[in-house]
Amino acid sequence: MAAVAVGGDSDLLEVEMEIYVLVKQVPDPEAIIKVKSDSELEIENKYFTNFFDEIAVEAGLKMREKFGGKVTVLTVDNKKVDALRRGIAMGADDAIQITDPTLEGSDQFAIAKALAAYLKDKPFDLILTGRQAMDDDAGIVGPAVAELLGIPYVNMIIGLEMDDPKKELKVIREVEAGKEILSCTLPALFTCQKGLNNPRIPQVMNVMKAMKAQIKKLDLAAIGLSAAETGRQAAKMKVQKYLPPPKRPPVRMIKEDFPENVKILVKLLREESKVI
Amino acid sequence: MLIVDGRKWIKCHNLPSTFHPPISKGVIMSNEIWVFVEQQEGKVRKVTFELLSAGAEFSKKIGSPLAAILLGSGLQEVVKSLSPFADKIYLVDDPSLASYTSEAYSINMAPLIKEHPPVVLLGAATSTGRDLFPRLAMHLQTGYAPDCTGLAIEENGKLIAKRPLYGGKVFAEMVFSEARPQMATVRNNTFLINQNLNKSAQVIPISLQRDPSSFKKKVLGLEKAAGTKLDITEADIVVAAGRGIKAPENFKILEELADALNASVGTTRATVDEGWRDQKDQIGKSGKNISAKLYMAFGISGAIHHVLGIGTCKTVVAVDTDPNALIFNYADYGIVGDLFKIVPALTEELKKVFAADK
Amino acid sequence: MPLDFAFSEEQEFFRQMVRDAVNRLIMPRVAELDEKEEFPWDLWKEFAALGYLGLRHEEKYGGMATDTISQMIFYEELARGSCGFAMATIMQVLMGTYFIARFGNENIKQRILVPAIKGEKIGTICFTEDQSGSDLGGTRTLATKVDGGWRINGRKQWITNGPIAEFCTCMATVDPKLGLKGLNFYLVEKKGADRDGFVPGQRLHKLGSRCSVTGELVLDNVFVPDENFLGEEIGKGVQYAGDILNEVRIMTAMNALAIAKGAMDDAREYARNRIAFGNPISKYQLIREKFAKFWAWYEASWTYAYKCAWMIQNKIPCTNECMLAKYHATEMCMYAVEEAMRIYGGNAFCTEYPPQRYWRDAKFLLYGGGTHEVLCDYLGRIFCKD
Repeated sequence: MAAVAVGGDSDLLEVEMEIYVLVKQVPDPEAIIKVKSDSELEIENKYFTNFFDEIAVEAGLKMREKFGGKVTVLTVDNKKVDALRRGIAMGADDAIQITDPTLEGSDQFAIAKALAAYLKDKPFDLILTGRQAMDDDAGIVGPAVAELLGIPYVNMIIGLEMDDPKKELKVIREVEAGKEILSCTLPALFTCQKGLNNPRIPQVMNVMKAMKAQIKKLDLAAIGLSAAETGRQAAKMKVQKYLPPPKRPPVRMIKEDFPENVKILVKLLREESKVI
Repeated sequence: MLIVDGRKWIKCHNLPSTFHPPISKGVIMSNEIWVFVEQQEGKVRKVTFELLSAGAEFSKKIGSPLAAILLGSGLQEVVKSLSPFADKIYLVDDPSLASYTSEAYSINMAPLIKEHPPVVLLGAATSTGRDLFPRLAMHLQTGYAPDCTGLAIEENGKLIAKRPLYGGKVFAEMVFSEARPQMATVRNNTFLINQNLNKSAQVIPISLQRDPSSFKKKVLGLEKAAGTKLDITEADIVVAAGRGIKAPENFKILEELADALNASVGTTRATVDEGWRDQKDQIGKSGKNISAKLYMAFGISGAIHHVLGIGTCKTVVAVDTDPNALIFNYADYGIVGDLFKIVPALTEELKKVFAADK
Repeated sequence: MPLDFAFSEEQEFFRQMVRDAVNRLIMPRVAELDEKEEFPWDLWKEFAALGYLGLRHEEKYGGMATDTISQMIFYEELARGSCGFAMATIMQVLMGTYFIARFGNENIKQRILVPAIKGEKIGTICFTEDQSGSDLGGTRTLATKVDGGWRINGRKQWITNGPIAEFCTCMATVDPKLGLKGLNFYLVEKKGADRDGFVPGQRLHKLGSRCSVTGELVLDNVFVPDENFLGEEIGKGVQYAGDILNEVRIMTAMNALAIAKGAMDDAREYARNRIAFGNPISKYQLIREKFAKFWAWYEASWTYAYKCAWMIQNKIPCTNECMLAKYHATEMCMYAVEEAMRIYGGNAFCTEYPPQRYWRDAKFLLYGGGTHEVLCDYLGRIFCKD
């Protein structure tokens, strides 16, 4: 982070922040996903940017608007870069794709290792990402990257207040009991939850820019990670079997008229399913 | 294989209730079953008791002791309430741990775990569990299955974790590599609490491994959510209304029903987007997944985004004026009717029935 | 290796971005837009702020200079949301500003084009009159040469954006006896305190595309300076019109494709969930036949429409092809919206359900860019080499 004194009638320091946003492309929520066999899923080929990562990009852009600096979007993906292009379309300055055939079959920990390997020698101030990806619903990569980089992190943030990046910032995190308020200093990693902001719709000028953008591709050698740490053989977890969601028995419609139907419902809930 | 799943509670061992696995007194052992305890203000969360109950079944099956791992400050009451549920309690009690942070707890648990790796480390899929476990797993270089809806253990200690993917459109059974412990966070109401474990836990105090006071992240405070009800992810009973409620003030009838049932009030994306209800009450894909024992949906059409959030609820009741509403495909009981008539009548009937119980 | 049927990765990305913007801004409001029958100013401003109104214009005026195919992608995605809003937008992007960009001098471009691209001034184009639609030769709006400019008299009908337009490209004749050879385009602004101009007349209440406001424009002895003559020579109006008609027709085809797909995608969801005689109706053959026929027809219309867009982009003459594409896509759309109404059964008759809106919005496509009767007569003649 470089501090540049801005001359003139304000004594405000404009700091140049290095912000990285970790993004992922996931199947569209409307995509049809079926269990093909024990070991295979059939996924309709409609991909989009993970919704929570969009919120992270927006948060990064807002920080840049306030303090100046650079927003870079990062992804680990061998096939698609939709999320990177979307990041640029929203206004990110740079996009990096970490891609390597040996990454195929990696678990979230290996992905985190790849990201951390790239980031470890960069002068980052802030790393942002979504609270979880909408495909694996895991929420592992963010915290794992923070652990590898040895920086504090806060997950599920719904509020971020920073007046001076060199001082403590106030972070609000969603917990069951309400909102937890924390203070944290940079560098740090935050995972973003819905409610933090409303991601901007890309302006067509930036959409054009994103369409033409050159995305930097880096392989494992470029980031200094060994193949032994990634891929299927290094995975700590494996899917043994895919299952369709549990099916409920057909609904029992209570056909009696009002108010008998209410009485019958209460009776069933007490005597049959025994939940009250 | 013992299947410990919210819907089926199958005992396939017939062990005498006096069975205790052998414990070397005062020594931490490897290959134990550990459950991370969630507590707040001296009270243990219900889900921890559920996990200890499951842990007890696993313990019997593989012949390993069950231990609760507890960090915090001023934990006397907590230890007392845990005692019947575990063989051991590993206790790190220090004022610097009064507020939970992932950094503080992770750094104080890791050395213990590394020296004597448990075969399994379980936690709740709460904001705490899902905050702590990924960091810890990365540090320990071990596998971690988040937000599980079912667990099973084989005699050789291999854990099988069932968890939803793609928001619940499919489920996966995960298995782990050789690395230990096998870590998992589990949704509440996946297991039943076994009140008859009748253990008497041996408390093993562990000294503070690292003082977190100098850490860069500190908890300043908690802004409690308005109202006294539990968060929808923790409540046993959740009642919800969607667009059919027509106006924000009409939620009053739902709150009265919730009072009668000691339930929490949830809602759908439609009302949150309108600004009628808070984001924290939203059930569905971009909201929360709930695992209530009873979920009642009023005036909710049943769009896929919403119903994926209620898949693991035990019993679902749906009330809607449209007989073709999709919600009925996901319910156990359904009524085609006007919620404005049914909800108040339901409240009255419940009050009557509960009063008669007393 | 010619004959490439794929979009570029950039074009696919562009489509995704437009679709996303439409999903977020328009989709939640489609029913409301249809019911209110009012121009949605807030939505207009949001779209303008995103920069889409400058899609085809030069960058120095604030535009994007996008290729034809990407423009068509934009029209297709936009119409999937709200046909009415699409019409207003397309009028601004294409017809309303084309001649100004092409023939207007720098003064006019700064005064009109730049704010138009920002969405601050709404424009339109005026062809139709009471007595003349497809028959441009029947134009009676008269432009008389006077010192320093022209005087224009007439009434224009069916003007999209008419009630809210600040400027228009008006087609007028110097002499009705000359027929098509007398037609020219003039820039006419709205009458103001310091400026002569047109006055909005009666507003039309339409069956569909209701959030697009349409009405009459009255030109009562309006004076416009010489620089407002949009063209190089007198009498070339029809030729110039021909230059954009290809795009207009493919744009209409895109509208038709979008409405048809929207109607049948919605009908599909209905059919999959509606249970009759113990089964979802999508399991019955006569319902399946409707979808199959639509699908076959749709794929052909879609492919052909984009082929024509490609021809326009590559400056290959394609007047007939564009007429064919518009005709084909619109007839397909008529089938689709009709069948969607049938699939819904009695529910189609209720205004709460979407098919009736698609059906109403679609009807206009039969007329925009030439009625099908006129097109068929023309195309048949060309085919027979008469």
